[in-house]
Parts: sequence; C-alpha cells; structure tokens
Amino acid sequence: MTSATQALARGFSSLVVLAGAVAVWWGAVILFRIPAFLLPTPDAVFARFVFMAREGQLERHATATLSELGLGFAAGAVAGLLVGWAFDRLPLLGRLFSPLILLLQTAPKIAIAPLLLLWLGLGLGPKVVLIALVSFFPVLTGTVSGLAAVEPGYRDLARLLDLSAAIRFRRVELPFALPSIFAGLRIATTQAVTAAVVGELIGATFGLGYLLSVGQENNDAALVLAAILMLSTLGWAMHEIVRAVETRVLAWR
Amino acid sequence: MIRIEGVSKTFSGPGGPVEALRPVDLTILSGSFTSIIGPSGCGKSTLLRIVAGLETASTGRIANEGEQGRPGFVFQEPVLLPWLTARENVRFPLDTSGVPRAEGDRRTDELLAMIGLSSFAQALPRTLSGGMRQRVAIARALSYDPALLLMDEPFGALDLLTRDRLNDELMAIWTATRKTIVLVTHSVEEAAYLSDTVVVMSARPGAIKRIHTVDLERPRGERTKLDPRFHQLMADLRRDLA
Ligand SMILES: Nc1ncnc2c1ncn2[C@@H]1O[C@H](COP(=O)(O)OP(=O)(O)OP(=O)(O)O)[C@@H](O)[C@H]1O
Ligand SMILES: [Mg+2]
Repeated sequence: MTSATQALARGFSSLVVLAGAVAVWWGAVILFRIPAFLLPTPDAVFARFVFMAREGQLERHATATLSELGLGFAAGAVAGLLVGWAFDRLPLLGRLFSPLILLLQTAPKIAIAPLLLLWLGLGLGPKVVLIALVSFFPVLTGTVSGLAAVEPGYRDLARLLDLSAAIRFRRVELPFALPSIFAGLRIATTQAVTAAVVGELIGATFGLGYLLSVGQENNDAALVLAAILMLSTLGWAMHEIVRAVETRVLAWR
Repeated sequence: MIRIEGVSKTFSGPGGPVEALRPVDLTILSGSFTSIIGPSGCGKSTLLRIVAGLETASTGRIANEGEQGRPGFVFQEPVLLPWLTARENVRFPLDTSGVPRAEGDRRTDELLAMIGLSSFAQALPRTLSGGMRQRVAIARALSYDPALLLMDEPFGALDLLTRDRLNDELMAIWTATRKTIVLVTHSVEEAAYLSDTVVVMSARPGAIKRIHTVDLERPRGERTKLDPRFHQLMADLRRDLA
C-alpha cells in the first residue's frame, strides 16, 4: 500500500468512529429524552456553530485563543530548548536547578493562573505566560533526556574533529535529541490548550474559554459544545502540525 | 615519530581509583604499522585514546614529532551520523572545518572510490552492512588526510570473511599513503599479518610485556599466510598472551 492510500484508509476509519460517536450521542438524547439545555442534539450544536461562524463571533474568539496558543507555545518551547541545552552544557547548572525544576514540574501550574491574572490583568498576557509555562517543562525534559542519550562515541568524534560547541550542537547533538524533543513538543501542545482554556475561564473577555463560561452562565449547552468543538479542532491541528514537522525533520529514521 | 614516555592512567571510579595503565614507554616510527594486542581490560583503548587526545594521561607525556594535526580515529563502532548519507558522513570532517566545497567533493569521491562504495554514496548508514559502515568510518577518518591513523578494534564486530577483505584493503591504503597506523586488535592473525611491530600488553593494570618486530617481507598476501615464520609469530603472540 502506498502512503497516500494508507492515509486515506486511516482518515476513513477515524471518520467512521466519529460518525459512530455522533450517532450514539444523538440516540441517547432521543432515547433518554435529555432536555436541550443539558445536552442538545448534534444538529443543534452544529447549527449554533454555523450561526456563530457566520456572525464572526467564532472567528474573533478562536483568533484570540489561537494567538495566545501560538505565542505561549513558541515562547515555552524555545525557552525549554535553550534551558535544556544550558543544562547539558553546564552540568553544575543542571544539578543545581533540577530539584527546583522537578518541584515546579510536579506542581499544578494551572493553579497559578489566578496569580497571573492578578498580576497581568485580563488581557492576552497572563494566558500567554501560563501557556508558555506549561509548554516549557515537557520541552525541557525532552531536550535534557535527548541530549543525555547522545552516545559517548559521538562526543568523542566531536572532540576528535575539534568541533566548536555551536557546530557540535547543531550538527551532532540536536539531531540526536530531536525525537525526544518532539515527544516533549507533542505533550506540550495538549497542555497548552488546557492552559489556554483555564486562563480564559478564570478571567477573560474573549477567547473560546470565555465562550465556555458564558455558555455555562446562560445554561447554553449548545454554546459550550460549539466552543469545545472548536477547542478540540485547535488542539488537534496543533498536534498535527507538530507531527507533520516531525515526520519531515526525522525522515531519515 | 611518536614517543610515548612514561604514560600512565588512573581513573577515579566510584569505588576509588582504578589503575588502567602502568607507565608505558613506546616509540612509534613514522610510516610504520603498529598493532597492540593484550587481554581485555588491559588498557589498550585507554592508551590509544590518550595518544588521540581523547583522554589525558595521569603521568608521562606524548612527544609528537611529525604526526601533527588531528589524528584519524576509527572506533570499534562506526559512529556514523545516522541522518547523513555515506557521502555526507565521509565529508563531515571537511564540512565542519571549512574546506572549500569543490575540494571536499573531490576528496570524498576519491575516498568513496577507494573503499569501493561509490555506488552507495547516497545510502543512509542503516541501509549499509556492518562492513560497509566500517569502510565509511575509515574513509571519514582519512578524509582530512591525517598523518596518524588510530584504530581501536575496527573489525572486531565483523565476520571473518569481511574482516580478511578489510585487512587487505587497509594494507593497500597503508601502502598507498604510508600513514603511521596504530591498530588495537584481539586477533593475533590480524596483528601478525598487517604489522611492522606488534606490542603485547599484559593483563590489568596494563603494561608493555613484549615488542615483536615482524620481518615478513612486503607486499604481503595469501603467500604470507602460508609462511612458517608467520605461524611461528602467531604462536609466539599467543604464548605471550596466555
Ligand atoms: N572512563 C573510565 N572510567 C573508569 N574506568 C575506566 C574508564 N575507561 C576505562 N576504564 C577502566 O580501565 C581499564 C582499561 O580499559 P580499556 O578500555 O583501556 O581496556 P581495553 O584493553 O581496551 O579492553 P578491551 O580489549 O576489552 O577493549 C578497564 O579496567 C576499565 O574498566
Ligand atoms: Mg578497548
């Protein structure tokens, strides 16, 4: 089978599963007579989705969330990469800071969202910082473990060839660490979407998370579901982009 | 000429210091082929790595007269960069040291032809056989034309047939380039067949036990392997190792 037909088959099977889930949802609403303010039928949610999209509301809120995600994720990933590299270059730094990093990593970072809102207001700022924070740790961990896994023989080779630190990193260590870094990036995308939602739920005047809270206040389940749909799409798209880049970059495997 | 003078090495391990190498004195003549054999763990790799500058000696010094510059080093594992093709791996040392493109291309093609891998130039390491990978590693070590080529059990992981073939290729390279070659090996046959000098080391902590000068005439080939003196030398080497 060629990769194109394989991708097609995969797409088709996920479509079948999706259709099945929608059918179960629809069936349950009718069978158990669930009131619409608790769980509307899929067509009602879809209609709401289309209505909001036409009005431009969806675009406005999705754009806000998307820009938070883009900025925060990029900042967190770059910081994770740089700090990971620094830890590898200066083992003393790594030994000094890794207990603190571990502590911060296990702490629920979402919990500091109220603090960030307090400090930075209701705008984009606190969400971007929160997203950057949750993206930072998986990328850092991926970078550190990826660089640590470079076999000693390659360090010998670099030493033998008198490679400068920059060339050694770019041409030897980074390519070896990339699979592990990408694993970190993929984890980061999921956490980033969660962080965006939490930030917007707690205090915002825009964004998909804000739509969630508006929906909740107005007993508007269709709105909540439409926002969830949009959020999952965003999360899925981010994940796919990371995966597409990964497949390209790691084609040699 | 490389003079190893009183070079020793003590590693600081977790369970205290580990004496890997007792003071070693050895002179390696320019253009000669020297093999080092000895029981496992006797410090052969350590000595070679010290000569290469990959490890610092605890005592003693290496006087390098005529083999200046980066030495070539072939490890037991090929240590190829898996994302680079055979060709890119061979030219990696040239690319990272700013050798002009045209010059690098020329050298690389020459070397690929020499090791018989011209038609595999675009292959990734994982698609090559073990012997082919080690050939690429040798070509890479030769790419910057080092005066000194150090090899640490380069053929240890290969089957006997491939090993014999690579031994002959290595000898041809040495004959053509007259580089100073130091080869660490576990095979007395390999040592006897290739070398001008065979250094036998004693068990841990390593020291030099005996130095054999090989007087088998060159060029060597299948006839050499039938020579009684060749067999006598192998027997002597085995006796020294026991
Ligand atoms: N980095 C290191 N730290 C601590 N001890 C080491 C280190 N490298 C080598 N040694 C010790 O030094 C001794 C000599 O090791 P070396 O690798 O030089 O032996 P060798 O003769 O090459 O053995 P082999 O034939 O198995 O390759 C061994 O006891 C080994 O455990
Ligand atoms: Mg060894």
